[in-house]
Amino acid sequence: MAVVTTTDLTRRFGPITALDAVTLELPPGGIIGLVGPNGSGKSTLIRVLLGLIRPTSGSATVFGHPITSPKRYASGVGTMIESPAFVASLSARANLVSLAHLHGTPMVRVDEVLAQVGLLGRDREPVRRFSLGMKQRLGIAAALLTDPDLLILDEPTNGLDPAGIVEIRGLLRGLARDGRTVIVSSHVLSELEAICDHLVVIRFGKLLFAGTMVELLGRTRDHIDIAPEHDADLERLATVLRDDGWELVPAEVGLRVLAGADRTAALNRAATAAGITLSRLAFAQDSLEELFLEMTGRVDGELAGARDAAEGKVA
Amino acid sequence: MLHVVRSEFTRLAQRRTLLVWFGLMALFAIMVNTVMGSAVGQMDPSMPSPGVSFPTRAELEAPGGLMAGLSAASNMFGVVTLSLWAFFTAQDYSSGLIRLLVAGEPRRWRLLAGKAIALVGVTAVAVTVAALANLVAAPAVGASGISTEAWGTDVPTVIGEAWVNLFLSQLVWGALGLVIAVLSRSAMVAVSIGVGYVLVVESLIRMVDGAPVDQLLGTTLGAIANGGTAAVAYSSALALGATYVIVGLVIAGIVFTRRDVTD
Repeated sequence: MAVVTTTDLTRRFGPITALDAVTLELPPGGIIGLVGPNGSGKSTLIRVLLGLIRPTSGSATVFGHPITSPKRYASGVGTMIESPAFVASLSARANLVSLAHLHGTPMVRVDEVLAQVGLLGRDREPVRRFSLGMKQRLGIAAALLTDPDLLILDEPTNGLDPAGIVEIRGLLRGLARDGRTVIVSSHVLSELEAICDHLVVIRFGKLLFAGTMVELLGRTRDHIDIAPEHDADLERLATVLRDDGWELVPAEVGLRVLAGADRTAALNRAATAAGITLSRLAFAQDSLEELFLEMTGRVDGELAGARDAAEGKVA
Repeated sequence: MLHVVRSEFTRLAQRRTLLVWFGLMALFAIMVNTVMGSAVGQMDPSMPSPGVSFPTRAELEAPGGLMAGLSAASNMFGVVTLSLWAFFTAQDYSSGLIRLLVAGEPRRWRLLAGKAIALVGVTAVAVTVAALANLVAAPAVGASGISTEAWGTDVPTVIGEAWVNLFLSQLVWGALGLVIAVLSRSAMVAVSIGVGYVLVVESLIRMVDGAPVDQLLGTTLGAIANGGTAAVAYSSALALGATYVIVGLVIAGIVFTRRDVTD
C-alpha cells in the first residue's frame, strides 16, 4: 500500500496556487526526495499531508487515512517542519520529554533517540547553546520519538556544514534501512541524489516528475560539447549544423549538440566540411542537476512567484 | 488529555521565567503590605489608583486585614499573571513549536485545554507564593499604627478565602492573557492590550456618565479579588468573570482550531 497518495491536491493562498492539482503515489520504504526550487510548494505539500493546513480542493491519504483525520495517522508520522523548533531555555532532554509526554511515548525513547542522533552527552544543555547542526539533529530526534513508520523532514540539512550534511545523510540512510519511509525535502537536487530511491519534483505547485532515480536518470540526454578554434566561427558553425539537421541547445561555452557518442565523428566531419576546425569535441551526459534545472527552470522560484503574483498571474 | 497537560507542565518548567513570576508575586505582596499601613487614611478609597486598591482603616483592622494586601494588589498580581500566561502561550508561536505540537496532537482543542490546565496549576503555586509573602510582610502594617489585634481571629478561613479570591481573579486575568496571545500570537501585544484595557481604557470608561461600570472586566476582577464589593456582589462577580473566561476561550478555541499555524 502506498504511504502517501494525493489526488488533484490543490492549495491556494490568495492569488497564489501553492499546490496545483498534484496527483502522486509514494511507495513505502526507502528515502523519497521532495525537490523543487524555493517557493515551489514543497513545504505546502508537507503541511497539507500533516493536517496543518487544509487543501483548497482534492484529496490525500497517509497510510490510507484521509488527511481530514490526521489524528488517525499522527502517531505513525515523525516530522521536522522547516527549522527545528524548541523552547530555547530548556535542555534538549526536557524538550524531548515534553514531546514524549505529548505523544504518550515511553521515556526510554528519549534516551534512545538522543543516542541515535549522537546528542546523548549534550542533552542536559539548554537548546539555546546548540549549534544549528545540533538543533537539526535534535529536530530529527524529536521526529523519531514515536518510532514512526514515516518520517517527513523539511530541509534537514539546511545550514549544516559539509561534515554535518554527510552525517545527516548517513543517519537518514540508516533510518531507511530499518524499513522506514523517509521523505526529505530540499531545493538542491545534489543533496538528495546521493541518498534517494524515489524522487518527486515540483515547481510552482505543479508535479513535474514522480518516480525512481533510475527513471529520472533515464531522462538525461547525451550531448557533445564543441567549440571552434576561432571564436568568430561560432555563429557560422551553429548555422551550418542547424542546416545539417543537428539539434543544438544553449551552452555556457561553445555549442552543445544533442547527440550520442557514436555521432562524434560525424559532427567533426560536418564542421571540417564547413572549413571550421574544432578546438573542443567532448561527449558527455546531462548531470541530474542540469536535468533538474531544465525541468524546474533556471530562475529562483520565490522571485518568479513574487513576480507572477505582482503581475496578477496564477503560478 | 493527561499527556497534553504533562507535556505542557514540562515546558512550563523554565526556571528563570518561573522565578520571575513567583518573585514578582512575592515582591508585590511585600511592597503593598509595606506601604499599605501608611497609605490608609491618606488616600480616598473612592478614587482607587491604577493597579492598587487600598482598603479602609476599618477593613484593615478587621480579621480579614491580615490578608488585605492580596486583594489590594490583585491588579498588580493580575498584570503579572496575564503577562506570564501570554508569554507561555505566545512562546509556542515564536519558537515555531506550535507546528510540531499540532502535528503531534491534531485535536487542537486538547492543546489549548492542556495549556490552560497546566497554567492554572502554576498560577495556584504563584498565588500561594504571594499569600506566603503577604503573611511574612503583614506585620509591617501594624508598625504604622494600624491595630492588628483582630488578625488572630479565624486565621485559616481568612487565609483560605483570600487565597481562593485571589486565585479566581488571577484565573480571569490569565485567561485574558491566553486568549489575546492566541489571537495575536504575540506576548507583547497580549500584555499591551490586556493591561492597557483593564488599567487605562476602563479608567476612561468610568469617567463617562451612565457607563456600565459594574459589568466592566476590571471591576469584575477587583470584586472577585475582594470577595465582593458594595457595588458588585461576589456571586455576580464570579458569574460575570466565568462568562468572560468562557466567551474568551470559545473565541480562542475557534480561531486556534481553524487557523493556519504554519505561517
